[in-house]
Amino acid sequence: MIDSVRQTGVNEWEVPVGYVPGMRVPGKFFLSESLGISLESGAIEQLANVATLPGIIRHSLAMPDIHWGYGFPIGGVAAFSLDEGVISPGGVGFDINCGVRLLTTPLAQKDISGRRDLIEELFRAVPTGVGGKSTLRISPPDLERMMIKGASWAVDAGYGVKRDLIRCEDSGYMKQADCHAVSSKAKQRGVPQGGTLGSGNHFLEMQVVTEIFDPEAAQAFGLHLGQICCMIHCGSRGLGHQVCTDHLKLLESATKKYHIVIPDRQLACAPITSVEGKDYFGAMASSANYAWANRQLITHTVRQVLAKMFRIEYEDMPLVYDVAHNVAKIEEHEVDGKRMNVCVHRKGATRAFGPDTDELPLDLKKIGQPVIIPGSMGTSSFVLRGTKTAMEKTFGSTCHGAGRIMSRTQAKKSLSGKEITANLLKAGIIVRAHSENAIADEAPEVYKSSDEVVNVVHEAGISRLVARLSPLGVIKG
Amino acid sequence: MSFEELSHTADVKIRARAETLEALFTDAFLALMQVVYGTDRCDGIIKEIRIESDNIESLLCDFLSEVLFISEVEGLVFSRAGIAIENLHLTAVLHGEFFDPLRHSSGTEVKGISYSGLIIHKDANGYMLDILFDV
Repeated sequence: MIDSVRQTGVNEWEVPVGYVPGMRVPGKFFLSESLGISLESGAIEQLANVATLPGIIRHSLAMPDIHWGYGFPIGGVAAFSLDEGVISPGGVGFDINCGVRLLTTPLAQKDISGRRDLIEELFRAVPTGVGGKSTLRISPPDLERMMIKGASWAVDAGYGVKRDLIRCEDSGYMKQADCHAVSSKAKQRGVPQGGTLGSGNHFLEMQVVTEIFDPEAAQAFGLHLGQICCMIHCGSRGLGHQVCTDHLKLLESATKKYHIVIPDRQLACAPITSVEGKDYFGAMASSANYAWANRQLITHTVRQVLAKMFRIEYEDMPLVYDVAHNVAKIEEHEVDGKRMNVCVHRKGATRAFGPDTDELPLDLKKIGQPVIIPGSMGTSSFVLRGTKTAMEKTFGSTCHGAGRIMSRTQAKKSLSGKEITANLLKAGIIVRAHSENAIADEAPEVYKSSDEVVNVVHEAGISRLVARLSPLGVIKG
Repeated sequence: MSFEELSHTADVKIRARAETLEALFTDAFLALMQVVYGTDRCDGIIKEIRIESDNIESLLCDFLSEVLFISEVEGLVFSRAGIAIENLHLTAVLHGEFFDPLRHSSGTEVKGISYSGLIIHKDANGYMLDILFDV
């Protein structure tokens, strides 16, 4: 492990105040010794940099999928006091509310194994990749409604069922959305991309439940062994990217205006209570809502394809849950023995609220929030549940995925898209993408083992394993 | 044209070297287009943009962000640019064509131009640039 970092518990490490000048609180991250081998010192420096921001509470945190991002590390979590704290786009990321949802089906593995026609049909129906345009006609007024009402706009417009909404973090929308803070450029980018998957690490995957770790929670989440599910991973598309770009510039001026000293330009921020801070929050919430609506639109398309191809009912494909992993939220947490509202930034981290949290739907109150952790292409994904320990240690947060360990340049040198596709096919996994490059970029070998990452959070107790899902077919952007 | 992709775990890191600032900006622009759309890009359509910023790093980020925006909303893929920079004012004449899914789908979307690790350095040999594209 990196020098001057000390172990404070099982898979739990502390970065002391003083690691970089100006730290107000220590850093804390969750990692096993073996994952520590691939830990980048730059990521720990970023974790320490976040600890210098005004109003940060208790710790600057990072999950085991930590790696070098910009501003905050990927896997970074930090909570800020509403009175003295700041909000920073560097703590959210360019892809606002990049997130993941899991849809169940009444199908079994034998129904879809080797069904290339299903993967081709999904690839045809869900626009993916660079230049992918929506097949839906989203008008500018629809776009406004998407930004205000998120997934509930989509459900009201016929792209889903009411029950979907109670299975989304925040019921699929943040009430603080303010479309006036979203530039016309961002809106122009948003109109043609509603219902598109995007590229990079975004994917849509047909999976089978291959292991149940926690039968009671699995039952509550509607999961059983051998069941076919569909996982959808995407975000707020060009609209969210533009909001981040626009507000980074505005907040850079605000950082100077409010005399905030930051160690890295990408940590540009403003007081949460300032005009600039509120504007960013409103625009970010609008983008988050767009992303929830986007995943709902894709869900609708997937349900239509499956219903037609397998003669199953649209309503028989309920959602397990939908989680955001790039977002800032106002949440109530216990700080120094008192309940208070704080602004939690999660940048490549997932909310993992424990049992008895007010935000959870009644039927999940006893169990805790479902946490969906996508694996890399060809490796397992996992469902976990939130815990009380997460509420105490990480402001109700856990990891978000496997975390890259190999650069794209290395990946392309060592693996060709063709070879990867052939190897995955041997393992019974059909991959479809627009280009071989897209496959080489996201090969299983470029990520940490998702098994190892989820084991770290399970052992640290900040979420608990419920089920493993194995891939059968995947479409990539 | 003189740029290379360096190893970076999460994103795309580009290093460019050029004798003039205009050539350096052109290299960054060409690298961006190559990352998103691949190498098969032609001329035909001309687009002019003007950008003004407070400092040279912001000028580059603002320029590339504007290119991303135009490219996406107008469905244009650019192959070359004529760039003039004077006192933090940039004028760029971009040459390109309409997006063709058959020829332009080998790249990956760039979500944003990052300030993290952004270095524009001048020495006796000219300019050097390190820049990250968030993908």
